[in-house]
Amino acid sequence: MTPPAAEGLDPIALQVATGALRAACEEMGAVLVRSAHSANIKERRDASTALFDPQGQMVMQAEHIPVHLGAMPSAVAAVLGERHEPGRSWVLNDPYAGGTHLPDITVITPVFGDRPHRPAPGRASAGRRSALSLLGFAASRAHHADVGGAAPGSMPADSHRLDEEGVIISPQVLDEEAINRLASRMRQPAERRADLRAQLAANRIGARRLAEIAHRVGPDRLARTTEAVLDYAERRTRACLSEMVDGARHARDVLEAPEGDLELHLEATVSGDELVLDFSGGALQHRGNLNCPLAVTRSACYFAVRVLTDPDIPPSAGAYRPITVRAPEGSLLNARPPAAVAAGNVETSSRVADLVLEAFGRALGQGTMNNLTLGNDDFTYYETIGGGQGACPDADGPSAVHVAMSNTLNTPIEALEREFPLRVAGYALRRGSGGSGRHRGGDGVVRELEAREPMTYSLITERRRHPPPGAEGGAPGATGRNLLDGRELEPKVSGRLEPGQRLRIETPGGGGHGG
Amino acid sequence: MPRVLLGVDVGGTFTDAALLADGRLFSAKAPSTPDNQASGVIHAVHAVLERAGRSPHEVEALAHGMTVTTNALLEGRAAPTALLATEGFTDLIELGRQARASLYRLCEQHPPPLTPPERRFGVPERMGPDGPLRPLDEVACEPLLDELAAASPQAVAVVLLHSYADGAHERRVGELVAERLPEAHLSLSHQVVGTFREYERAATTEIDAGLSPLLSGYLRALVTRLSELGLPAPQIMQSSGGLIDLETAAGHAAVTVLSGPAGGAAGAALLASRSGHPDVLCFDMGGTSCDVCVVDGGRVRETTGRLIAGRPLALPALDVHTVGAGGGSVAWRDPGGALRVGPRSAGAIPGPASYGRGGTEPTVTDANLLLGYLDPSSPLAGVALDRGLAERAVARLAEALGLDTIACAEGIVRVANAEMVRALRVMTVERGVDPRSYALMPFGGAGPVHATAIADALEIERIVCPRASGVLSALGLAAAERRGDAQRSVLRSGAGLTREALRREVAALREQAARVLGRSPAGSAAVEVEYHLRYQGQSFELPIVGPEDPDVERLMEGFAEAHEERYGYRDPESEGELVTIRVTLREPGPELDLRVTGGPPEAPGSGLSRREAIFDGRARPARVLARPPEPGQSLEGPAIVALPEATLVVAPGWRGETDDAGTVILERA
Repeated sequence: MTPPAAEGLDPIALQVATGALRAACEEMGAVLVRSAHSANIKERRDASTALFDPQGQMVMQAEHIPVHLGAMPSAVAAVLGERHEPGRSWVLNDPYAGGTHLPDITVITPVFGDRPHRPAPGRASAGRRSALSLLGFAASRAHHADVGGAAPGSMPADSHRLDEEGVIISPQVLDEEAINRLASRMRQPAERRADLRAQLAANRIGARRLAEIAHRVGPDRLARTTEAVLDYAERRTRACLSEMVDGARHARDVLEAPEGDLELHLEATVSGDELVLDFSGGALQHRGNLNCPLAVTRSACYFAVRVLTDPDIPPSAGAYRPITVRAPEGSLLNARPPAAVAAGNVETSSRVADLVLEAFGRALGQGTMNNLTLGNDDFTYYETIGGGQGACPDADGPSAVHVAMSNTLNTPIEALEREFPLRVAGYALRRGSGGSGRHRGGDGVVRELEAREPMTYSLITERRRHPPPGAEGGAPGATGRNLLDGRELEPKVSGRLEPGQRLRIETPGGGGHGG
Repeated sequence: MPRVLLGVDVGGTFTDAALLADGRLFSAKAPSTPDNQASGVIHAVHAVLERAGRSPHEVEALAHGMTVTTNALLEGRAAPTALLATEGFTDLIELGRQARASLYRLCEQHPPPLTPPERRFGVPERMGPDGPLRPLDEVACEPLLDELAAASPQAVAVVLLHSYADGAHERRVGELVAERLPEAHLSLSHQVVGTFREYERAATTEIDAGLSPLLSGYLRALVTRLSELGLPAPQIMQSSGGLIDLETAAGHAAVTVLSGPAGGAAGAALLASRSGHPDVLCFDMGGTSCDVCVVDGGRVRETTGRLIAGRPLALPALDVHTVGAGGGSVAWRDPGGALRVGPRSAGAIPGPASYGRGGTEPTVTDANLLLGYLDPSSPLAGVALDRGLAERAVARLAEALGLDTIACAEGIVRVANAEMVRALRVMTVERGVDPRSYALMPFGGAGPVHATAIADALEIERIVCPRASGVLSALGLAAAERRGDAQRSVLRSGAGLTREALRREVAALREQAARVLGRSPAGSAAVEVEYHLRYQGQSFELPIVGPEDPDVERLMEGFAEAHEERYGYRDPESEGELVTIRVTLREPGPELDLRVTGGPPEAPGSGLSRREAIFDGRARPARVLARPPEPGQSLEGPAIVALPEATLVVAPGWRGETDDAGTVILERA
């Protein structure tokens, strides 16, 4: 007896399939984080893992940090048309061919299983051929500590072209030869090789689990199962969107580029159970590195939509079907080669999320990761600093947290002072920096570091000229400040520190909500 | 030698008591009394003494696991507490690690510090990694102490930067505070925790200070009531799975935060070793939640860094993972039309619909009743189950989901099982361990019902179900070892890492651990030393067990081997760094004779009937054993076995034997 195909899965099978796919993605993530060598992957968990169907639809994703949410499908799309064979994986990082920024390397492995067979009713399946069929793809993305280029860490503050930022990997087969060839052009090649192998190991686990799920539900029913999981996520997103008031909402905001402010616009239109996010009319791509490919813009939009709808909705392509993201080609948010993109993934993505949240009446958080790099010939130290979260309609914004696309841990003072020629001269809440309102914005952070040796510093920060706005009459948060021995610095700046000099960073507060 | 040992464990729904007398095990359950756990304890003790026909005076030792500190943390309750921190760093406790509490619920807050800003004071001093950068200014401390006294705290936590390296400033500040506020409880971070990473040390020290007055209040009240009955003062279970004296526990609340689940884990480890299957995955399913842990070689896996109720606890603890799937977990339909179970629980009041105490929402217990797994005529902890009420509750949900009632009941059980399977995967595959190489040990009142289904999902071939699985936590307490821990971050490498230096460190820690245990260092306890090492530049350490005066080269070789095994490589170019040393003193618990003796009143096989139960959508006549199987008795699924305070469901396709301790070992047929 064949159940009617039109009618998805029963509520129990649906929940069990969703759980199994989620567990498979989480297991992939665990293998990746556990076996990787880059601190970025194993400690900051700047990595994602996902499973796809044969058409390249993302069936499920493990969520470690939000920045990869919507950007993974572009990577699978970039290799979808290739000839796939068991055991042949693909690699890429080109932001203009499936990637985000160069340190994020994506590895994609096709998954094969027994070919579905449909024996005639009543006849045994003795004569079937055990051919292989494509069940889908396992994909993992990780932020590698270095991918070559002019600056250690491959996150330069002042790049103008993509090729200054590191090795560009166009989609290609990832075999031993490719691992060695690619790693040899990056710093710490042994660590790069190990990280790529960790990604392959993660994909192998994902492939095995997907094949097991196919075996359990029956190979000819896998497609129906995954489609049901996608439909389920879609239904839940549509249910949330249809509760929103129809019509267009607008938001505008700026990025603080060295050459001046870059303006961004959003028109967000809800009609029924669909949402269109249109960024037309904003800044064109610029000579710095705040540009981003459309995939990053989409990720930031999906992050904001998850915040505005229901975070329990399984993260799959289905959840994003009712959402259309538009940004004109050649604009800052849909840049073309050879524009540089290093800061796009960390700072511009934050502002895109801000625009969506602002359009829906939310007060905004600090809107920056406060990227600080210190170093000399003997060491490199990178940190991001939390700040104030925007207040919600029903609650105060938390203080001293990463607010949007990042969610990494800080480095303890007792570790920092032991390992680096630095002393922490102060670390406190920036009290009163959150915007007032019926619900207060969260407070920022004051962090002051003192150099014990000569070294260079580089700061990529935002919200130094324009404060994070409040909503519904709530006051904006305080702008951030960068100070060198009490002298104020630009939002994006690099220079030298002598022993005893102190760099003080005051991170922005969040906007308040309600007058 | 006649011995009467008693263990009492407080769970979210029930308080369990286990009494061992002359090799016989008696058990009892009483509803937990969250407002004053002592009442539930006294009820359970009374019940078990009565059942065993013993008087309180015969009880030789009493061991207690409780959730007083856990619950206080969950609710953010603490005694009025002050925090003294290095000047300029009094916000450390509030800054945390900067990661937000939830990825998408942007305004979800981390739990606020137990000490509000107005009760935090900056101490004029600054210690660096290699000694004082600014000496402690005792003159400037005077006005600070005045302010502190004016705040009249019941407890004071002192957390100064780099105190793990040099505790001199903390000790002196502690003396000054003790002179000024002799009544206040005092917790110094280098003594309570001893390891580096200031936020985790501060948060743990704050917990120790803020909860000790609450815990000691509870324990003093309990010991008074117990002694009125003629019972001895209890030993208290720590998060590490070992017991300490009541007085020590009362002054160090931080070590008791996982006291509740630790008893069950200790019991599981005991029965695992006893059954000849020392590697088991355990799940302890009670009314409210399910605790999962891994036993390797008869020992529960431990961890040193974990979150409890959103707060870090930087102390040795058994690695227990808790999910909200218990017998009382409520089933519901989500907006996408999927069937969900938990994390909300119907608790003890009103409890599952079938309890007939006013609950109308369907729970896992109601589903198990409808599927024929539970016997309506045999009460669950004194409560008879009403099948009609269960059916009504499940039918309502079934209608909303477009299912028939039995399919819905099966669905509830499957979804709850999936939640537990996920928890077991977190503890195994996510830590690089293959669950198929373990046996599964179910316990807790609700655990054995779900055992074969969960084993099937994880492809586990063997189930080890102790006869006492319904009260295994209480049994684990009665049999637990005593234990004292001490740890310190030394962060030594290269020339600083000598055998002599290590010997001194270990000796000092050993003395500290002995004080925790309440014994002189020359006592009979077994000494265990763990060295936590990493390559310089790494952030995670690997624990290596070594002797008290280790050869440094061999220690490094042991680390390189462990690193290779764990991460696939060793790094001859990097220098090894000894981060932390931990010394553990263990005194074994009482030897227990768990053999089932005395013989049953009737011959084996009697008390046997059949009942319809649903497996994979089909009603099957299952054999029902109304009393625990005798040693040597074999079983074949489908079968339903009544154990003391629990029910074991044997699905079709499983068969098993009973060992001399009454433990049922099931294997796939």
